[in-house]
Amino acid sequence: MKTIWVIARNTFIETIREKILYAIVGFSLLVIVASLLAGSVSLGQDVRVIQTFGLTAMTVFLLVITIFVGSHLLYKETEQKTIYLTLTKPVTRVWFYLGKFVGLSLVIGASALLMGLVYVILLWAKTGFVAPANYWAIGFTILEAWLVVAVGMMFGSFASPISSALYSFGLILIGHSTTTIHAIAQKSAPTIRYLLEGVYYAFPNLEKFNLRNEVVYAISPNPTQVITTLIYFVAFTALLLALGIAVFRKNEF
Amino acid sequence: MLRQYLICQSIILYAKALSNMLKLQKLTKQFWLGSKPFTAVNSLSLEVATGQVFGFIGLNGAGKTTTIKMITGLLFPDSGQSSWKKQDSTSVESKKKFGFMPEHPQFHRHLSATEVLSYVGELFEIDPTIITKRTKVLLKQVGLADSAKIPVRNFSKGMRQRLGFAVALINNPELLILDEPLDGLDPIGRAEFKKLILEQKAANKTIFLSSHILSDIDEICDQIAVIDKGKLLFIGSPKKLTGGKKSLEAAFVELVR
Repeated sequence: MKTIWVIARNTFIETIREKILYAIVGFSLLVIVASLLAGSVSLGQDVRVIQTFGLTAMTVFLLVITIFVGSHLLYKETEQKTIYLTLTKPVTRVWFYLGKFVGLSLVIGASALLMGLVYVILLWAKTGFVAPANYWAIGFTILEAWLVVAVGMMFGSFASPISSALYSFGLILIGHSTTTIHAIAQKSAPTIRYLLEGVYYAFPNLEKFNLRNEVVYAISPNPTQVITTLIYFVAFTALLLALGIAVFRKNEF
Repeated sequence: MLRQYLICQSIILYAKALSNMLKLQKLTKQFWLGSKPFTAVNSLSLEVATGQVFGFIGLNGAGKTTTIKMITGLLFPDSGQSSWKKQDSTSVESKKKFGFMPEHPQFHRHLSATEVLSYVGELFEIDPTIITKRTKVLLKQVGLADSAKIPVRNFSKGMRQRLGFAVALINNPELLILDEPLDGLDPIGRAEFKKLILEQKAANKTIFLSSHILSDIDEICDQIAVIDKGKLLFIGSPKKLTGGKKSLEAAFVELVR
Protein backbone atom coordinates (compact mmCIF):
# COMPACT_ATOMS: atom_id res chain seq x y z
CA MET A 1 0.00 0.00 0.00
CA LYS A 2 2.80 2.38 0.93
CA THR A 3 4.55 1.81 -2.40
CA ILE A 4 1.30 2.50 -4.29
CA TRP A 5 1.00 5.77 -2.40
CA VAL A 6 4.64 6.74 -3.16
CA ILE A 7 4.05 6.15 -6.88
CA ALA A 8 0.70 7.98 -6.73
CA ARG A 9 2.26 11.02 -5.05
CA ASN A 10 5.08 11.11 -7.59
CA THR A 11 2.56 10.88 -10.45
CA PHE A 12 0.52 13.69 -8.91
CA ILE A 13 3.57 15.96 -8.48
CA GLU A 14 4.85 15.22 -11.98
CA THR A 15 1.43 15.79 -13.60
CA ILE A 16 0.50 19.01 -11.81
CA ARG A 17 3.77 20.53 -13.00
CA GLU A 18 2.72 20.03 -16.63
CA LYS A 19 1.89 23.36 -18.26
CA ILE A 20 -0.78 21.77 -20.46
CA LEU A 21 -2.79 20.89 -17.33
CA TYR A 22 -2.79 24.53 -16.23
CA ALA A 23 -3.93 25.55 -19.71
CA ILE A 24 -6.87 23.12 -19.68
CA VAL A 25 -7.90 23.89 -16.08
CA GLY A 26 -7.51 27.65 -16.69
CA PHE A 27 -9.64 27.48 -19.81
CA SER A 28 -12.28 25.40 -18.04
CA LEU A 29 -12.48 28.01 -15.25
CA LEU A 30 -12.96 30.72 -17.88
CA VAL A 31 -15.78 28.73 -19.48
CA ILE A 32 -17.44 28.17 -16.09
CA VAL A 33 -17.24 31.92 -15.41
CA ALA A 34 -18.62 32.53 -18.90
CA SER A 35 -21.79 30.73 -17.78
CA LEU A 36 -22.64 34.06 -16.09
CA LEU A 37 -22.68 35.66 -19.52
CA ALA A 38 -24.79 32.84 -20.96
CA GLY A 39 -27.16 33.21 -18.00
CA SER A 40 -27.49 36.96 -18.46
CA VAL A 41 -28.79 36.62 -22.02
CA SER A 42 -31.44 34.04 -21.10
CA LEU A 43 -34.91 35.20 -20.21
CA GLY A 44 -35.42 34.59 -16.50
CA GLN A 45 -33.58 31.27 -16.67
CA ASP A 46 -30.16 32.59 -15.67
CA VAL A 47 -29.62 30.30 -12.64
CA ARG A 48 -30.73 27.27 -14.62
CA VAL A 49 -28.36 28.18 -17.46
CA ILE A 50 -25.47 28.79 -15.06
CA GLN A 51 -26.04 25.37 -13.46
CA THR A 52 -26.35 23.43 -16.72
CA PHE A 53 -23.58 25.35 -18.47
CA GLY A 54 -21.22 25.24 -15.47
CA LEU A 55 -21.68 21.54 -14.69
CA THR A 56 -21.47 20.54 -18.36
CA ALA A 57 -18.26 22.56 -18.78
CA MET A 58 -16.85 20.88 -15.71
CA THR A 59 -17.71 17.38 -16.98
CA VAL A 60 -16.36 18.04 -20.47
CA PHE A 61 -13.06 19.54 -19.29
CA LEU A 62 -12.49 16.86 -16.67
CA LEU A 63 -13.00 14.23 -19.36
CA VAL A 64 -10.61 16.12 -21.66
CA ILE A 65 -7.92 16.06 -18.94
CA THR A 66 -8.67 12.43 -18.22
CA ILE A 67 -8.47 11.32 -21.85
CA PHE A 68 -5.43 13.47 -22.59
CA VAL A 69 -3.38 12.57 -19.53
CA GLY A 70 -4.77 9.07 -18.95
CA SER A 71 -3.98 7.82 -22.43
CA HIS A 72 -0.43 9.26 -22.27
CA LEU A 73 0.38 8.19 -18.72
CA LEU A 74 1.80 4.71 -19.32
CA TYR A 75 3.03 5.48 -22.82
CA LYS A 76 5.11 8.42 -21.57
CA GLU A 77 6.70 6.28 -18.85
CA THR A 78 7.61 3.62 -21.41
CA GLU A 79 8.67 5.97 -24.21
CA GLN A 80 10.82 8.18 -21.99
CA LYS A 81 12.12 5.09 -20.15
CA THR A 82 11.29 6.60 -16.77
CA ILE A 83 9.51 3.31 -16.09
CA TYR A 84 12.98 1.77 -15.51
CA LEU A 85 13.38 4.02 -12.49
CA THR A 86 10.38 2.41 -10.77
CA LEU A 87 10.02 -1.13 -12.10
CA THR A 88 13.63 -2.09 -11.32
CA LYS A 89 12.99 -1.25 -7.66
CA PRO A 90 11.05 -3.46 -5.19
CA VAL A 91 7.79 -2.68 -6.97
CA THR A 92 5.39 -5.13 -8.60
CA ARG A 93 3.69 -4.16 -11.83
CA VAL A 94 0.33 -4.26 -10.05
CA TRP A 95 1.51 -1.66 -7.50
CA PHE A 96 2.94 0.49 -10.30
CA TYR A 97 -0.32 0.41 -12.27
CA LEU A 98 -2.47 1.14 -9.22
CA GLY A 99 -0.09 3.92 -8.13
CA LYS A 100 -0.43 5.58 -11.51
CA PHE A 101 -4.23 5.25 -11.33
CA VAL A 102 -4.43 6.77 -7.85
CA GLY A 103 -1.98 9.56 -8.82
CA LEU A 104 -3.97 10.59 -11.87
CA SER A 105 -7.22 10.30 -9.92
CA LEU A 106 -5.76 12.75 -7.40
CA VAL A 107 -4.96 15.18 -10.22
CA ILE A 108 -8.52 14.83 -11.53
CA GLY A 109 -9.90 15.25 -8.00
CA ALA A 110 -7.84 18.41 -7.40
CA SER A 111 -8.85 19.90 -10.78
CA ALA A 112 -12.50 19.04 -10.10
CA LEU A 113 -12.39 20.66 -6.66
CA LEU A 114 -10.96 23.84 -8.16
CA MET A 115 -13.59 23.92 -10.91
CA GLY A 116 -16.32 23.02 -8.40
CA LEU A 117 -15.20 25.81 -6.08
CA VAL A 118 -15.45 28.40 -8.85
CA TYR A 119 -18.86 27.02 -9.86
CA VAL A 120 -20.18 27.11 -6.27
CA ILE A 121 -18.86 30.65 -5.68
CA LEU A 122 -20.54 31.84 -8.90
CA LEU A 123 -23.82 30.21 -7.94
CA TRP A 124 -23.68 31.58 -4.41
CA ALA A 125 -22.84 35.07 -5.68
CA LYS A 126 -25.85 34.89 -8.02
CA THR A 127 -28.46 33.32 -5.73
CA GLY A 128 -27.03 33.52 -2.20
CA PHE A 129 -27.76 29.78 -1.85
CA VAL A 130 -26.29 26.56 -3.20
CA ALA A 131 -28.59 23.53 -3.12
CA PRO A 132 -26.97 20.24 -1.92
CA ALA A 133 -27.83 18.71 -5.30
CA ASN A 134 -24.99 20.81 -6.75
CA TYR A 135 -22.44 19.14 -4.48
CA TRP A 136 -23.81 15.71 -5.33
CA ALA A 137 -23.54 16.55 -9.04
CA ILE A 138 -19.89 17.60 -8.61
CA GLY A 139 -19.16 14.41 -6.65
CA PHE A 140 -20.76 12.20 -9.29
CA THR A 141 -18.84 14.02 -12.05
CA ILE A 142 -15.59 13.19 -10.22
CA LEU A 143 -16.63 9.52 -10.01
CA GLU A 144 -17.31 9.49 -13.74
CA ALA A 145 -13.91 11.04 -14.45
CA TRP A 146 -12.18 8.46 -12.21
CA LEU A 147 -13.93 5.65 -14.06
CA VAL A 148 -12.73 7.15 -17.36
CA VAL A 149 -9.17 7.28 -15.92
CA ALA A 150 -9.39 3.49 -15.57
CA VAL A 151 -10.72 3.29 -19.15
CA GLY A 152 -7.89 5.46 -20.54
CA MET A 153 -5.24 3.50 -18.65
CA MET A 154 -6.67 0.17 -19.78
CA PHE A 155 -6.49 1.23 -23.43
CA GLY A 156 -3.10 2.87 -22.75
CA SER A 157 -1.72 -0.47 -21.53
CA PHE A 158 -1.74 -1.83 -25.09
CA ALA A 159 -2.52 0.98 -27.55
CA SER A 160 -0.75 4.15 -28.69
CA PRO A 161 -1.85 7.42 -27.04
CA ILE A 162 -3.89 8.51 -30.09
CA SER A 163 -5.66 5.16 -30.41
CA SER A 164 -6.18 5.06 -26.66
CA ALA A 165 -7.67 8.58 -26.65
CA LEU A 166 -9.97 7.69 -29.55
CA TYR A 167 -11.12 4.45 -27.90
CA SER A 168 -11.75 6.31 -24.62
CA PHE A 169 -13.70 9.01 -26.44
CA GLY A 170 -15.77 6.35 -28.21
CA LEU A 171 -16.45 4.61 -24.93
CA ILE A 172 -17.58 7.88 -23.32
CA LEU A 173 -19.98 8.49 -26.23
CA ILE A 174 -21.41 4.98 -25.94
CA GLY A 175 -21.42 5.25 -22.14
CA HIS A 176 -23.64 8.33 -22.31
CA SER A 177 -25.96 6.66 -24.84
CA THR A 178 -26.51 3.29 -23.18
CA THR A 179 -29.98 4.25 -21.90
CA THR A 180 -31.00 5.15 -25.46
CA ILE A 181 -29.35 1.95 -26.76
CA HIS A 182 -31.32 -0.07 -24.20
CA ALA A 183 -34.56 1.63 -25.20
CA ILE A 184 -33.90 0.92 -28.89
CA ALA A 185 -33.05 -2.71 -28.03
CA GLN A 186 -36.48 -3.22 -26.47
CA LYS A 187 -38.15 -2.25 -29.73
CA SER A 188 -35.84 -4.17 -32.08
CA ALA A 189 -35.92 -7.59 -33.71
CA PRO A 190 -34.46 -10.39 -31.49
CA THR A 191 -31.00 -10.55 -33.16
CA ILE A 192 -30.45 -6.82 -32.98
CA ARG A 193 -31.95 -6.73 -29.50
CA TYR A 194 -29.36 -9.22 -28.18
CA LEU A 195 -26.58 -7.26 -29.85
CA LEU A 196 -27.71 -3.92 -28.42
CA GLU A 197 -28.33 -5.43 -25.00
CA GLY A 198 -24.81 -6.84 -25.14
CA VAL A 199 -23.52 -3.31 -25.74
CA TYR A 200 -25.72 -2.02 -22.91
CA TYR A 201 -24.29 -4.47 -20.37
CA ALA A 202 -20.68 -4.46 -21.64
CA PHE A 203 -20.17 -0.71 -21.56
CA PRO A 204 -20.35 1.44 -18.45
CA ASN A 205 -23.53 3.46 -18.20
CA LEU A 206 -22.06 6.92 -17.64
CA GLU A 207 -25.50 8.52 -17.47
CA LYS A 208 -25.71 7.11 -13.95
CA PHE A 209 -23.27 9.85 -12.96
CA ASN A 210 -25.21 12.65 -14.67
CA LEU A 211 -27.24 14.66 -12.15
CA ARG A 212 -27.49 17.87 -14.17
CA ASN A 213 -31.25 17.59 -14.66
CA GLU A 214 -31.79 16.93 -10.95
CA VAL A 215 -29.65 19.97 -10.04
CA VAL A 216 -31.96 22.27 -11.99
CA TYR A 217 -34.86 21.13 -9.77
CA ALA A 218 -32.65 21.00 -6.64
CA ILE A 219 -33.33 17.27 -6.20
CA SER A 220 -30.60 15.45 -4.29
CA PRO A 221 -30.10 11.74 -5.04
CA ASN A 222 -31.72 9.40 -2.52
CA PRO A 223 -29.47 7.07 -0.45
CA THR A 224 -30.33 4.04 -2.61
CA GLN A 225 -29.26 5.91 -5.76
CA VAL A 226 -26.01 7.01 -4.07
CA ILE A 227 -25.18 3.49 -2.89
CA THR A 228 -26.04 1.78 -6.18
CA THR A 229 -24.02 4.36 -8.12
CA LEU A 230 -21.06 3.88 -5.78
CA ILE A 231 -21.26 0.08 -6.13
CA TYR A 232 -21.55 0.46 -9.90
CA PHE A 233 -18.51 2.78 -9.93
CA VAL A 234 -16.38 0.46 -7.76
CA ALA A 235 -17.35 -2.67 -9.70
CA PHE A 236 -16.72 -1.20 -13.15
CA THR A 237 -13.52 0.57 -12.11
CA ALA A 238 -12.18 -2.61 -10.49
CA LEU A 239 -13.01 -4.58 -13.64
CA LEU A 240 -11.28 -2.05 -15.89
CA LEU A 241 -8.23 -1.94 -13.59
CA ALA A 242 -8.06 -5.74 -13.54
CA LEU A 243 -8.18 -5.87 -17.35
CA GLY A 244 -5.51 -3.14 -17.66
CA ILE A 245 -3.26 -4.85 -15.10
CA ALA A 246 -3.65 -8.22 -16.86
CA VAL A 247 -2.28 -6.65 -20.07
CA PHE A 248 0.35 -4.48 -18.34
CA ARG A 249 1.82 -7.46 -16.45
CA LYS A 250 2.74 -9.07 -19.77
CA ASN A 251 4.34 -5.93 -21.23
CA GLU A 252 8.10 -5.82 -21.77
CA PHE A 253 10.22 -2.69 -21.60
CA MET B 1 46.99 -24.58 13.78
CA LEU B 2 46.74 -21.01 12.49
CA ARG B 3 47.21 -22.25 8.96
CA GLN B 4 44.32 -24.73 9.31
CA TYR B 5 42.13 -21.99 10.79
CA LEU B 6 42.90 -19.66 7.88
CA ILE B 7 42.17 -22.41 5.36
CA CYS B 8 38.83 -23.10 7.08
CA GLN B 9 37.93 -19.41 7.07
CA SER B 10 38.82 -19.15 3.38
CA ILE B 11 36.60 -22.14 2.58
CA ILE B 12 33.72 -20.60 4.58
CA LEU B 13 34.13 -17.23 2.82
CA TYR B 14 34.29 -18.94 -0.58
CA ALA B 15 31.16 -20.98 0.18
CA LYS B 16 29.39 -17.82 1.36
CA ALA B 17 30.42 -15.96 -1.77
CA LEU B 18 29.08 -18.77 -3.95
CA SER B 19 25.74 -18.94 -2.12
CA ASN B 20 25.30 -15.17 -2.42
CA MET B 21 26.00 -14.99 -6.07
CA LEU B 22 24.09 -13.81 -9.04
CA LYS B 23 23.40 -16.83 -11.17
CA LEU B 24 22.12 -16.95 -14.74
CA GLN B 25 21.02 -20.36 -15.97
CA LYS B 26 20.46 -20.98 -19.66
CA LEU B 27 18.87 -17.57 -20.10
CA THR B 28 17.36 -17.21 -23.56
CA LYS B 29 15.49 -14.37 -25.22
CA GLN B 30 14.21 -14.17 -28.74
CA PHE B 31 12.67 -11.18 -30.53
CA TRP B 32 10.77 -11.10 -33.76
CA LEU B 33 12.11 -8.80 -36.46
CA GLY B 34 9.15 -8.79 -38.82
CA SER B 35 8.53 -12.47 -39.47
CA LYS B 36 12.12 -13.52 -38.64
CA PRO B 37 13.13 -14.62 -35.14
CA PHE B 38 16.27 -13.04 -33.69
CA THR B 39 17.93 -14.65 -30.70
CA ALA B 40 19.30 -11.79 -28.60
CA VAL B 41 20.48 -14.01 -25.73
CA ASN B 42 21.17 -17.67 -26.34
CA SER B 43 21.25 -20.08 -23.40
CA LEU B 44 23.48 -17.82 -21.33
CA SER B 45 24.80 -19.24 -18.07
CA LEU B 46 27.19 -17.51 -15.69
CA GLU B 47 27.83 -16.90 -12.01
CA VAL B 48 29.03 -13.78 -10.26
CA ALA B 49 30.41 -14.28 -6.75
CA THR B 50 30.09 -11.76 -3.93
CA GLY B 51 32.57 -8.92 -3.75
CA GLN B 52 33.58 -9.13 -7.40
CA VAL B 53 33.62 -6.45 -10.05
CA PHE B 54 32.28 -8.44 -12.96
CA GLY B 55 32.62 -6.99 -16.44
CA PHE B 56 30.06 -8.04 -19.02
CA ILE B 57 31.52 -7.15 -22.38
CA GLY B 58 30.47 -7.42 -25.97
CA LEU B 59 29.94 -5.48 -29.17
CA ASN B 60 26.86 -3.31 -29.71
CA GLY B 61 23.83 -5.59 -30.03
CA ALA B 62 25.64 -8.53 -28.44
CA GLY B 63 22.85 -9.03 -25.88
CA LYS B 64 24.28 -7.22 -22.84
CA THR B 65 21.34 -4.89 -22.19
CA THR B 66 18.81 -7.63 -22.94
CA THR B 67 20.49 -9.82 -20.31
CA ILE B 68 20.47 -7.00 -17.76
CA LYS B 69 16.81 -6.29 -18.49
CA MET B 70 15.99 -9.94 -17.81
CA ILE B 71 17.90 -9.84 -14.51
CA THR B 72 15.96 -6.75 -13.42
CA GLY B 73 12.55 -7.90 -14.66
CA LEU B 74 12.06 -5.44 -17.49
CA LEU B 75 12.05 -8.32 -20.00
CA PHE B 76 10.83 -11.87 -19.50
CA PRO B 77 13.17 -14.68 -20.59
CA ASP B 78 11.75 -17.21 -23.05
CA SER B 79 13.54 -19.88 -21.04
CA GLY B 80 16.12 -20.15 -18.30
CA GLN B 81 16.29 -18.20 -15.08
CA SER B 82 18.22 -15.59 -13.22
CA SER B 83 18.63 -15.78 -9.45
CA TRP B 84 20.23 -13.89 -6.58
CA LYS B 85 20.92 -15.77 -3.35
CA LYS B 86 18.89 -18.64 -4.78
CA GLN B 87 15.82 -16.40 -5.20
CA ASP B 88 14.35 -15.18 -8.47
CA SER B 89 16.28 -12.00 -9.25
CA THR B 90 13.09 -10.25 -10.38
CA SER B 91 11.32 -10.82 -7.05
CA VAL B 92 10.56 -7.87 -4.76
CA GLU B 93 12.83 -9.38 -2.09
CA SER B 94 15.80 -9.64 -4.46
CA LYS B 95 15.28 -6.15 -5.87
CA LYS B 96 15.47 -4.68 -2.37
CA LYS B 97 19.18 -5.61 -2.46
CA PHE B 98 19.87 -4.33 -5.98
CA GLY B 99 21.07 -0.99 -7.23
CA PHE B 100 20.46 -0.53 -10.95
CA MET B 101 21.67 2.06 -13.40
CA PRO B 102 20.30 1.71 -16.97
CA GLU B 103 22.27 2.55 -20.10
CA HIS B 104 20.78 6.04 -20.49
CA PRO B 105 19.22 6.94 -17.15
CA GLN B 106 15.98 8.90 -17.52
CA PHE B 107 14.03 10.64 -14.81
CA HIS B 108 10.68 12.36 -14.46
CA ARG B 109 11.51 15.69 -16.04
CA HIS B 110 9.82 18.00 -13.54
CA LEU B 111 11.56 16.52 -10.51
CA SER B 112 14.83 17.76 -9.06
CA ALA B 113 17.76 15.44 -8.25
CA THR B 114 16.79 15.54 -4.57
CA GLU B 115 13.18 14.64 -5.39
CA VAL B 116 14.29 11.76 -7.63
CA LEU B 117 16.46 10.29 -4.85
CA SER B 118 13.71 10.81 -2.32
CA TYR B 119 11.19 9.05 -4.58
CA VAL B 120 13.48 6.06 -5.14
CA GLY B 121 14.44 5.94 -1.46
CA GLU B 122 10.77 5.77 -0.52
CA LEU B 123 10.24 2.91 -3.00
CA PHE B 124 12.85 1.04 -0.96
CA GLU B 125 10.91 2.02 2.19
CA ILE B 126 13.97 3.73 3.64
CA ASP B 127 13.42 6.02 6.62
CA PRO B 128 12.99 9.66 5.40
CA THR B 129 15.77 10.99 7.66
CA ILE B 130 18.18 8.40 6.26
CA ILE B 131 17.09 9.30 2.71
CA THR B 132 17.87 12.98 3.42
CA LYS B 133 21.30 12.14 4.80
CA ARG B 134 22.18 9.71 2.01
CA THR B 135 20.92 12.12 -0.65
CA LYS B 136 23.32 14.82 0.53
CA VAL B 137 26.28 12.41 0.69
CA LEU B 138 25.54 10.77 -2.66
CA LEU B 139 24.96 14.02 -4.55
CA LYS B 140 28.28 15.26 -3.20
CA GLN B 141 29.99 12.00 -4.16
CA VAL B 142 28.76 12.14 -7.75
CA GLY B 143 29.43 15.87 -8.07
CA LEU B 144 25.83 17.08 -8.20
CA ALA B 145 25.63 18.87 -4.84
CA ASP B 146 25.23 22.27 -6.53
CA SER B 147 22.50 20.99 -8.86
CA ALA B 148 20.37 19.27 -6.21
CA LYS B 149 17.33 21.53 -6.68
CA ILE B 150 17.45 21.97 -10.46
CA PRO B 151 14.76 20.12 -12.49
CA VAL B 152 16.29 17.06 -14.10
CA ARG B 153 15.07 18.17 -17.55
CA ASN B 154 17.86 20.76 -17.51
CA PHE B 155 20.56 18.15 -16.83
CA SER B 156 23.20 17.26 -19.42
CA LYS B 157 23.80 13.61 -20.39
CA GLY B 158 26.76 13.38 -18.02
CA MET B 159 24.71 14.85 -15.14
CA ARG B 160 21.94 12.32 -15.73
CA GLN B 161 24.57 9.59 -15.71
CA ARG B 162 25.86 10.86 -12.36
CA LEU B 163 22.35 11.03 -10.94
CA GLY B 164 21.73 7.51 -12.24
CA PHE B 165 24.70 6.30 -10.24
CA ALA B 166 23.48 8.08 -7.10
CA VAL B 167 20.04 6.47 -7.57
CA ALA B 168 21.69 3.04 -7.84
CA LEU B 169 23.39 3.61 -4.47
CA ILE B 170 20.50 5.11 -2.47
CA ASN B 171 19.54 1.76 -0.88
CA ASN B 172 23.14 0.81 -0.03
CA PRO B 173 22.77 -2.24 -2.33
CA GLU B 174 24.52 -5.59 -2.08
CA LEU B 175 24.54 -5.97 -5.86
CA LEU B 176 25.12 -3.08 -8.24
CA ILE B 177 24.01 -3.64 -11.83
CA LEU B 178 25.41 -0.96 -14.10
CA ASP B 179 24.63 -0.89 -17.82
CA GLU B 180 27.33 1.08 -19.64
CA PRO B 181 28.00 3.31 -16.62
CA LEU B 182 31.00 5.04 -18.16
CA ASP B 183 29.28 5.89 -21.43
CA GLY B 184 28.85 9.63 -22.02
CA LEU B 185 31.22 10.70 -19.28
CA ASP B 186 34.24 12.94 -19.81
CA PRO B 187 37.69 11.60 -18.76
CA ILE B 188 37.44 13.18 -15.31
CA GLY B 189 33.94 11.80 -14.85
CA ARG B 190 35.13 8.34 -15.87
CA ALA B 191 38.03 8.47 -13.42
CA GLU B 192 35.63 9.54 -10.64
CA PHE B 193 33.16 6.79 -11.52
CA LYS B 194 35.87 4.14 -11.53
CA LYS B 195 36.96 5.37 -8.11
CA LEU B 196 33.38 5.12 -6.84
CA ILE B 197 33.01 1.60 -8.26
CA LEU B 198 36.22 0.50 -6.55
CA GLU B 199 35.00 2.07 -3.29
CA GLN B 200 31.87 -0.06 -3.56
CA LYS B 201 34.02 -3.11 -4.17
CA ALA B 202 36.08 -2.27 -1.08
CA ALA B 203 32.80 -2.24 0.85
CA ASN B 204 32.30 -5.88 -0.27
CA LYS B 205 29.59 -5.02 -2.80
CA THR B 206 29.15 -7.12 -5.90
CA ILE B 207 29.26 -5.12 -9.13
CA PHE B 208 27.96 -6.38 -12.44
CA LEU B 209 28.73 -3.89 -15.16
CA SER B 210 28.45 -3.95 -18.91
CA SER B 211 30.72 -1.91 -21.10
CA HIS B 212 32.55 -1.84 -24.36
CA ILE B 213 35.27 0.49 -23.08
CA LEU B 214 37.82 -2.27 -22.58
CA SER B 215 40.60 -0.19 -21.01
CA ASP B 216 38.24 0.65 -18.14
CA ILE B 217 37.12 -2.97 -17.81
CA ASP B 218 40.75 -4.10 -17.66
CA GLU B 219 41.42 -1.55 -14.94
CA ILE B 220 38.58 -2.35 -12.54
CA CYS B 221 37.23 -5.86 -13.19
CA ASP B 222 38.20 -9.06 -11.39
CA GLN B 223 36.25 -11.28 -13.76
CA ILE B 224 34.85 -10.76 -17.22
CA ALA B 225 32.39 -12.47 -19.49
CA VAL B 226 32.49 -11.92 -23.23
CA ILE B 227 29.21 -12.24 -25.08
CA ASP B 228 28.66 -12.15 -28.81
CA LYS B 229 25.42 -12.65 -30.74
CA GLY B 230 23.82 -13.67 -27.46
CA LYS B 231 26.30 -16.46 -26.73
CA LEU B 232 28.88 -16.61 -24.01
CA LEU B 233 32.35 -16.84 -25.54
CA PHE B 234 34.54 -16.47 -22.50
CA ILE B 235 34.38 -16.21 -18.73
CA GLY B 236 37.35 -15.69 -16.44
CA SER B 237 39.86 -13.07 -15.38
CA PRO B 238 41.03 -10.41 -17.86
CA LYS B 239 44.51 -11.83 -17.45
CA LYS B 240 43.30 -15.26 -18.50
CA LEU B 241 41.89 -13.79 -21.71
CA THR B 242 44.98 -11.76 -22.56
CA GLY B 243 47.38 -14.48 -21.51
CA GLY B 244 49.39 -11.67 -19.97
CA LYS B 245 50.88 -10.91 -23.38
CA LYS B 246 48.46 -8.73 -25.34
CA SER B 247 46.02 -5.94 -24.54
CA LEU B 248 42.45 -6.81 -23.53
CA GLU B 249 41.22 -5.04 -26.65
CA ALA B 250 43.43 -7.17 -28.93
CA ALA B 251 42.38 -10.37 -27.13
CA PHE B 252 38.70 -9.37 -27.32
CA VAL B 253 38.84 -8.58 -31.04
CA GLU B 254 40.56 -11.88 -31.70
CA LEU B 255 37.91 -13.73 -29.74
CA VAL B 256 34.83 -12.22 -31.36
CA ARG B 257 36.11 -12.22 -34.94
